[in-house]
Amino acid sequence: MKKILIIEDDSALREELATLLTNADYEAVQITDYQNVLQQLLQTDADLILMDINLPNANGETLLQDFRRQHDTPVIMLTSRTNEMDEVLSMSFGADDYITKPYNPTILLLRISAVLKRSAKVSAVQNYHDVEVSTVKGSLIRNGTEQVLTKNEMIIFQLLLDRMGEIVTRDDLMTALWDNDEFVNDNALSVNISRLRGKLSDLGFPDAIETRKKQGYVLR
Amino acid sequence: MKLSAYLKDRILAYVIFALTWVLIAIFLFTFHVKFEAVCIISGIFWLGAWFTEIWGYLRKRSFYCTLMHNLDQLDRKYLISEMTDEPEFYEGKLLCEVLRDSNKSMCEHIGEHRRENVEFREYIELWVHEVKLPVAGLQLMCHNDGNAKYAEQLKRIDDYIENVLYYARSRNAEKDYIIKPVMLKRIFADTAIKNREELQMRDIALSAEGLDKEVMTDAKWLMFILGQLMNNSMKYNASEITVTAEDTIDATILHFRDNGIGIPKKDLPYIFEKSFTGENGRTHSKSTGMGLYIVSQLCKKLGHGVSASSVQGEYTEISIKFGKNDLYRIQ
Repeated sequence: MKKILIIEDDSALREELATLLTNADYEAVQITDYQNVLQQLLQTDADLILMDINLPNANGETLLQDFRRQHDTPVIMLTSRTNEMDEVLSMSFGADDYITKPYNPTILLLRISAVLKRSAKVSAVQNYHDVEVSTVKGSLIRNGTEQVLTKNEMIIFQLLLDRMGEIVTRDDLMTALWDNDEFVNDNALSVNISRLRGKLSDLGFPDAIETRKKQGYVLR
Repeated sequence: MKLSAYLKDRILAYVIFALTWVLIAIFLFTFHVKFEAVCIISGIFWLGAWFTEIWGYLRKRSFYCTLMHNLDQLDRKYLISEMTDEPEFYEGKLLCEVLRDSNKSMCEHIGEHRRENVEFREYIELWVHEVKLPVAGLQLMCHNDGNAKYAEQLKRIDDYIENVLYYARSRNAEKDYIIKPVMLKRIFADTAIKNREELQMRDIALSAEGLDKEVMTDAKWLMFILGQLMNNSMKYNASEITVTAEDTIDATILHFRDNGIGIPKKDLPYIFEKSFTGENGRTHSKSTGMGLYIVSQLCKKLGHGVSASSVQGEYTEISIKFGKNDLYRIQ
């Protein structure tokens, strides 16, 4: 399980972030003492750090800069400032991403998983049971038979695969699609899912995507 | 300085001169001074009187003529005291002093207001950042508890907060934006995701074409602008939003088109004006007349052109023109 360190001085927000991350199957660690953040930061063994820009006793940007000199754990900056300057500065100080409050929770999770993937240098090939998933070619390969997925189908399958065994809501799928400039509507999503089901069943997995009524989908 | 007006102004002095002369003449005749002597005395008197007048007129004329001319030429009339050389004569000196003093006091006054304005704006910015924390908290709570009902209202609150922030920014003389190359596609997708729930609830189809273009702008501001346009489309019954971009020699133009109720022809020239609500604002939906005004102000500050075209009942299209001037690229 990936460990995520939350640095956010607003306790209500921090708790909710922790819940969000725990629900998404991450281990959430919180910093509650804001006296010596840098020390605590340097001691952490987290895989990713979520950091607020406005912190008591410290400025998130300087903190990030000091931290970056000694560590290369990925950092996502969270901020309520909607200033392009902050974003440019944060990125130049070594942040891996930058998200403005209030954030869309799904987007936040997508960004986290994207940053984690990037830092873990996951190869372009993943596996689903004995099926080879090639994001580069956009296809599924099993025993030499290749099924080519459309861009939308790939996005959907990728998200289901990343959270295999968990419920993925239609909302999450929709957000992921829109995040990739595919502005599909409800019907189109249903069509895409049934096509994806068809292609999976051609590969020998007829019941791969299970529908949970009013909740979403689970990849088995 | 007009001679006739000056003479009219001095008329009382001339009357006094004349009366004095009459008194002197009466006095001289009473003492049986010779007629010739009276003539000579009168001549000397009038010569002195006219000489004083002409001298007085000439020295003032050059000063006031320059003053009036400068005032005419200036587009900021309050700078006149800086443009005026202090004259030799007393009244002129007084005038200069008065101008300087009043100018100084006005500058202090303006400075005070400017400071207040800046402080107020800074407070608004701070407040916006503060209020976003609980909004973000609530949004996460909604998501964690799986309650979408409140999320919609939260989105509305967030939109209104953004309005205040960008209104304050658009009013400000300072440059608090960063112009850098921005991918149109990215900004549009982010805006669309932000409004996704509402767009889907209203079953609005989005299509974007040719947005693989970089423009020079501030990403955050552009996102707010597109958000406003999207809100308007949703407000005025659109079922399709089409966004396209085209390149011309010196600009990239973004067309934001919807098939909503459109804008009446007579209202079209005024839609970017402050507090203009027009027919649609009255009959259709509650409108404050601020959205497009803020959009136009932000575009103006960023140096983008913004224009609208519409046919009532068919479509509304807002076009934003991003300059491609190479000077922009030098950062």
